Amino acid sequence: MFKKIKTDSINTVGINESSKKIGERIGFSRTRRITGYLVGTLDRFNNAKRAEEKDRVKHGCS
Amino acid sequence: MQHVIKRDGTKVSFDSVKILNAITKANKTTTDEKMTPTDTLFLTEKISLEIDRLCLCNVEEIQDVVEKILIHYDYAETAKAYILYRSEHSKIRNSEDYLMEIYNKLTYASAKDSDIKRENANIDGDTAMGTMLKYGSEGAKFFIDNYILPKEISRAHLDGDIHIHDKDFYMLTATCCQIDLISLFKNGFSTGHGYLREPNSIESYSALACIAIQANQNEMHGGQSVPNFDHAMAEGVKKTFKQEYLKLFSRYLQIKVNLTDHDIIQLEQELKDLLADQITIKNLPKIEKKLVHFRFLSLNKDSILSAHHYAQKEALKTTNRRTFQAMEAFIHNLNTMNSRAGAQVPFSSINYGTDTSEEGRIVIRNLLLATKAGLGNGETPIFPVQIFKVKSGINFNLEDINYDLFKLSIETSALRLFPNFSFIDAPYNHVFYKANDYQTEVAYMGCRTRVLGNTHDPQRQTICGRGNLSFTSINLPRLGLKAKKNIQFFYQLLDEKINLVFDQLLHRLKIQSSKKVKNFPFLMGEGVWIDSQFLNKDDTIGEVLKHGTLALGFIGLAETLKALTGLHHAESEEVQQLGLAIVAHMRKRADDKAKETGLNFSLIATPAEGLSGRFVPIDRKIFGNIPGITDRDYYTNSFHVPVYYPIKSYEKIELEAPYHELTNGGHITYIELDGDVSQNLEAFETIIRHMHQKGIGYGAINHPLDHDPICGYVGIINDICPRCGRKEGESIPLEKLETLRQQYPNVPYYH
Repeated sequence: MFKKIKTDSINTVGINESSKKIGERIGFSRTRRITGYLVGTLDRFNNAKRAEEKDRVKHGCS
Repeated sequence: MQHVIKRDGTKVSFDSVKILNAITKANKTTTDEKMTPTDTLFLTEKISLEIDRLCLCNVEEIQDVVEKILIHYDYAETAKAYILYRSEHSKIRNSEDYLMEIYNKLTYASAKDSDIKRENANIDGDTAMGTMLKYGSEGAKFFIDNYILPKEISRAHLDGDIHIHDKDFYMLTATCCQIDLISLFKNGFSTGHGYLREPNSIESYSALACIAIQANQNEMHGGQSVPNFDHAMAEGVKKTFKQEYLKLFSRYLQIKVNLTDHDIIQLEQELKDLLADQITIKNLPKIEKKLVHFRFLSLNKDSILSAHHYAQKEALKTTNRRTFQAMEAFIHNLNTMNSRAGAQVPFSSINYGTDTSEEGRIVIRNLLLATKAGLGNGETPIFPVQIFKVKSGINFNLEDINYDLFKLSIETSALRLFPNFSFIDAPYNHVFYKANDYQTEVAYMGCRTRVLGNTHDPQRQTICGRGNLSFTSINLPRLGLKAKKNIQFFYQLLDEKINLVFDQLLHRLKIQSSKKVKNFPFLMGEGVWIDSQFLNKDDTIGEVLKHGTLALGFIGLAETLKALTGLHHAESEEVQQLGLAIVAHMRKRADDKAKETGLNFSLIATPAEGLSGRFVPIDRKIFGNIPGITDRDYYTNSFHVPVYYPIKSYEKIELEAPYHELTNGGHITYIELDGDVSQNLEAFETIIRHMHQKGIGYGAINHPLDHDPICGYVGIINDICPRCGRKEGESIPLEKLETLRQQYPNVPYYH
């Protein structure tokens, strides 16, 4: 599991001082709509909704 | 024989009185086999001897002996009663085991591994309060199933014929409510924990809006909605502008002509007397005319007018800035404030877009800008659900006064997934519409609930103070499978289930109706629910609840049609017609029931989050793994075209639109777009316009919204962030960010 980044702590948690690098163990966030509202992370989707989200195909415009 | 080993493994001394009591109890329920005390003593003696002879100490074996002896001495009826009593107890014991098993899971499994802890994605099942909430919820469900529901209904739910939503709240409250902040704020209100005065600035308006949503959330099990957010907040903007204008007017003169503090107070008072309630943005030209004749101390006309010009320009600026901050705070609050003992944030929705007053426009613009800006690190706000009300003549056409805001709402949604779009012009919404009356403008709550028509009181087909009372969904695919392609038989099965659901909704309403005002100190005590202001603390709420809706829902129309015809509604025009006929039938049944009872029975296209995966595994057990029906982990949402089916956006809209008209209790249509939608606003608008044209009631466009907090990228991230090139969990050199900063505007800073 990767760390969820906290809004106010991003400046201090991520930096490795010796290597001057940032981002170690910090994940991406993925926001998706579920039944009409949004969820900031797929981790909290139930199994069925996760399966459904995976199956979603894009709808072409033309 | 000295000991008996109980089911839980503990040892207790043998006590023949227990056997005597059990026999007596069983015998009492019989009619023709009345035993005398001597008879029971005799039988107890025989049983004890037999147990001794066989050296039995296990409680189940002992009970077997009791049955055997009773039958041996020809007490068949008593034996039968005893067996029944035994199995009844074992049922309770089994279900208790079942409940304890659940508690065990809740306690020791993490949400990652336990689906039960992820039933609702907005509750963090790993926290103490999240778990506490689940203990309560699971315990309540157990109680409702075993002691409250009529057997037939509880069986239908457990077997997966129907799903009673929010069953844990069965004995407690109703689903949701559309809160009218305007009437609530008038003269202030109490949250049940403290009294709040009528607010006087946009900051207080937005803060109190959050508090009202939070207070109501704690008394209902569904989402809370503000149907007229722009109109309600506009009042706060009005007050703020007035304050700012007066303050800036006098400050200007204070500096310009060196007025004393005392003069300032007097000046403000005289201005107030002169202009009274006329200090609004719209009235600025009128105010200017009045000020031509205004004299104060030795000030000349020119000084007064330049003070006015300065004040009007600056007051507009500061009012805008303050409104932006208030909207920002509103969004931040709704994403952080706790409800339900801290397990959740309130499930909030706001509708807006039709207020054309300058103040209303300031609200809408700044709310959208704050949404666009995102939270602290540019994250997308999850709450409130935002709904932009589309209406031609107001915001839909180029010449409409709020057209600029419609454009801005598209820009915002393309970046943040919100707002969604509702369509007042859809014919079934438009019939209720009266110009300049937000009470008649359709609003949607949370997932999709719609409450507007009113069978109970046709004079009050209005929005505010009303909501859904409860809803229950039918497992349509199972009926489709059972019908074995016989459509007539399908309708027969469907009607049986509809009857059952109606009975159940009424059963629940009876319980809800017996509640009193004091059970809902905010919702009813503060007059949030329609007409509750006329009730006293100890009055029951049954009469006012009748303005709410009782909704029949369904899941998996697509799978049902597959079962009945081999195709779903996007695959054949004929099947689409069948789909419409089925949904129209359910709607007609709801309408008929509404007429018969005078209650607001309606048909909802069920949101189905927890439900999405509940029926499938049960049906798979019964019918096997059937391609296109039970072979996935979920049933397709309501009337939707299956998410996996490739289809053009305009076709999907045309297929789903007619179902919106049929589902008067709520509906939504989604379009999934690929790529960075914010770079293609035209396509976005074309889709919204198509929805409007085809009679969609409520729609939204989904697009992937991933975020890399390190480099600030928002868009689609597969494995590698397209901006900074890192994988999830990998680090990148700080120098690299420096380079990126020269190319992109929103790369975060680190020190």
